[in-house]
Amino acid sequence: MTATGHGAAQAVAEQLAFALSAAGLRKAYGATVALEQADITLTAGRVHALLGENGAGKSTLVRILTGAVRPDAGTITLGGAPYAPRSLIAARGMGVATAFQELSLVPNLTVAQNLLLPDLPKGPLGLVSFRRVLEQGADILARHGLQRIDPGAQVGLLPLAERQRIEIVRAIENAARVLILDEPTAALAETDWLFDRIRMVTAQGVAVLYISHRLAEVREICSDATVLRNGRSIASVGLSQASDGDIFEMMVGRRVDHSARDRVGPPADGSTPRLAVKGLSGHGLRDVSFALRPGEVLGLAALEGQGQRGLFRMLAGLAVPDAGQVEIDGSPAALGSPRQALRSGSGLAYLPEERKTEGILAGLSAATNVVLPVLSGSAAAGVITPQAELRAAGPSAAKVEMTPRYLGFAIGDLSGGNQQKALIARTLATGAKTLLLFDPTRGVDVGTKQSIYAAIRAFAQDGGSVIFYSSELPEVVQLADRCLALYGGKVFAEFEGDAIAEQALVTAIHGHGGGHA
Amino acid sequence: MAFAQHQTSRRAGLPQMLLRLTRGAMLIVGIYLILYAFYAYQQPKALTFSSFGSLMNNTAPLALAAAGQALVVISRGFDLSVAGVISICNVTLAVYAMDGPGGALLSALLCIAIGVTVGAVNGVLVAVLRLQSIAATLATMIICQGIALVILKAPGGSVANWIADEMTGRLWKTIPVSGLVVAFVVVVWLMIRRSRYGLSLYAIGADEQSAALSGINTRRVRFVTFVLAGAIYGLAGFMLSAQTATGNPTSGTPLLMLSFAAVALGGTSLSGGKGGVFASIMGAAVLMLLQKVLFSFGIASFYTGMFQGVALICAVVFSGLLTRLGEAK
Repeated sequence: MTATGHGAAQAVAEQLAFALSAAGLRKAYGATVALEQADITLTAGRVHALLGENGAGKSTLVRILTGAVRPDAGTITLGGAPYAPRSLIAARGMGVATAFQELSLVPNLTVAQNLLLPDLPKGPLGLVSFRRVLEQGADILARHGLQRIDPGAQVGLLPLAERQRIEIVRAIENAARVLILDEPTAALAETDWLFDRIRMVTAQGVAVLYISHRLAEVREICSDATVLRNGRSIASVGLSQASDGDIFEMMVGRRVDHSARDRVGPPADGSTPRLAVKGLSGHGLRDVSFALRPGEVLGLAALEGQGQRGLFRMLAGLAVPDAGQVEIDGSPAALGSPRQALRSGSGLAYLPEERKTEGILAGLSAATNVVLPVLSGSAAAGVITPQAELRAAGPSAAKVEMTPRYLGFAIGDLSGGNQQKALIARTLATGAKTLLLFDPTRGVDVGTKQSIYAAIRAFAQDGGSVIFYSSELPEVVQLADRCLALYGGKVFAEFEGDAIAEQALVTAIHGHGGGHA
Repeated sequence: MAFAQHQTSRRAGLPQMLLRLTRGAMLIVGIYLILYAFYAYQQPKALTFSSFGSLMNNTAPLALAAAGQALVVISRGFDLSVAGVISICNVTLAVYAMDGPGGALLSALLCIAIGVTVGAVNGVLVAVLRLQSIAATLATMIICQGIALVILKAPGGSVANWIADEMTGRLWKTIPVSGLVVAFVVVVWLMIRRSRYGLSLYAIGADEQSAALSGINTRRVRFVTFVLAGAIYGLAGFMLSAQTATGNPTSGTPLLMLSFAAVALGGTSLSGGKGGVFASIMGAAVLMLLQKVLFSFGIASFYTGMFQGVALICAVVFSGLLTRLGEAK
């Protein structure tokens, strides 16, 4: 990988030889064509972005490159030689490694074991040497600036962000030629660490394929981009020559209106707040109080681990507060379980953070997933038919612009964006007047985001109240009527209306700047 | 939980090693000791070598069946073929008796070969053809029971004297041979647990997809698991034959449900990824000891099942409470 000892020209030639080039890739699953005609070329030492809406074929392209799926047609070359990996391990053997969006860490093993799988170092007896596993694991963590993570800690007990970092570190360790990062910042609130890592591997001549929905990030780290739409690669562009508008247009085939909306501040009369949180403490939260008015969208901005998870889980009835109380429509609410939360007063409906494990019921249809909280409502004489489910799920699905055709599919087979739409439709279907949305657009594309924003706004306009946390500040800026910045488990600053600006939020979530705006 | 703790302790040394060995099984070992104290209080002769030896003889078949079952359960599967393998081994030894130490060795190898064959069939069905383990092993169990009936139509026949005598005897009038066989399996397990295969076993039990994406050959791990489990069932059939000294085409059936009970009692999660073989063996030991204790209290034997079931529920609830307390901290 390093070119020391060679002439510069030779080094350049050698590095170019490492690049990966794919032409005419095609993959169909039965009648569904997931990828029709995709071309992409990665250059050694550069970061290339892959952009496209959900369902555009990004996942399929990544699966082909990682060796998980073999294409029906098309050729790939790696360093000038044909590249047709038969498995993930074969791809890794050829120096192509991937950090998966849905993470591929084994929860009941330790950090070090996960980093070194499947070839754990052996001791004298041919058995795995736990001491050497820990040592090597600690070395790897130290190399990537993650000394704070205990290599002996069980992965399943770590916060999502740390798991994502471990997933990325493992991919980097295995990526001698090509590193594929699929939504690497989905759970990270800041990108400094990741971008440092990426600069390190590109300096070693590794080509990086970077898949993200966050265009600002893509612009910061990537030099080129390939845009996929409907299974075809529409264009490969230098990012310095393309405006955001150009890129969105290539992705969705139309211009996306990104102008800030008019914030319709709810009447500041003395009406009872829909939700009043008083002195809530516990699970990382320290003495937090705020009120939520009917028709209001309240955004939470915070770095990871500032207590936002605890706040949502306590409000949703999944965690028990140490102190404080919650009032719904002016009367104290007992939030012992999500079911109780849903039935307290006008109701609290929760959209969980991890859709794979906390959200979807993968084997059931999307319609069933949507109507789950209101199953009894769609039953005739206690019997629930698929037709009744489809009918009941329809209106909610329409609110998030979910194609009705998808309702009959097993939700596990849908793309991430459609799964998220179904989950939001589920929270809407509950009929609750207050929605608790934890990172509602995590890992979804621009088009889906717009549908979700529209659904949230429509809900608020009808008098519903929304609290949402987002790991993306632009989202808070775009969506919130009012915004609380959490820092160290407390409300550090509060912004209202036009005072919600990205610059001010960035300072506040880092615990700087002057308190209440 | 316990599993990761094993590896986080960086210090070595004998006390730590012992602690490591028992931590996951501490609860069930404790229950066993308390129950044994009861037993000894009621029946002072329980503390004699002969009495302990006979308890070991009673326990060994179920303990081995549970050991094999535990492997499959850790990998997130179920193996019903245990009943079929034990039945075939038993009738084979009763019909084709081979006497003398050489015959015994040959018989043991034959039983293991039977188990490995059935395990390999299970492995192909589950790992390669991707059938659900409960359905695939149900089928192999029924087939095996059919084969057992073909070999021996009705209870009868007799197992070689050498096997019946020596495998249920005691070395130097102290150490029960059946206990040594079980101890051998435990030692092998402790090595397996620290092998790459062992870690892969826990990995596929917890999250098969992630394990595959981490580079583990999940098919091979699953296949090997069924084969290993089959081999241990073969040993269980061998020890059962030594104990009963006769053949019965349905001799494995009672061990089927009890093997699951022993695994659950030992704290191995039936949803995979957690637990251990040693704990499951202790679970089997508790079930068999419970039988003895109830008998010594003069409770009629048809109540045994009820007590075993209640003990199972209590143990699962108790270990669940302990886990929750541990997680709360």
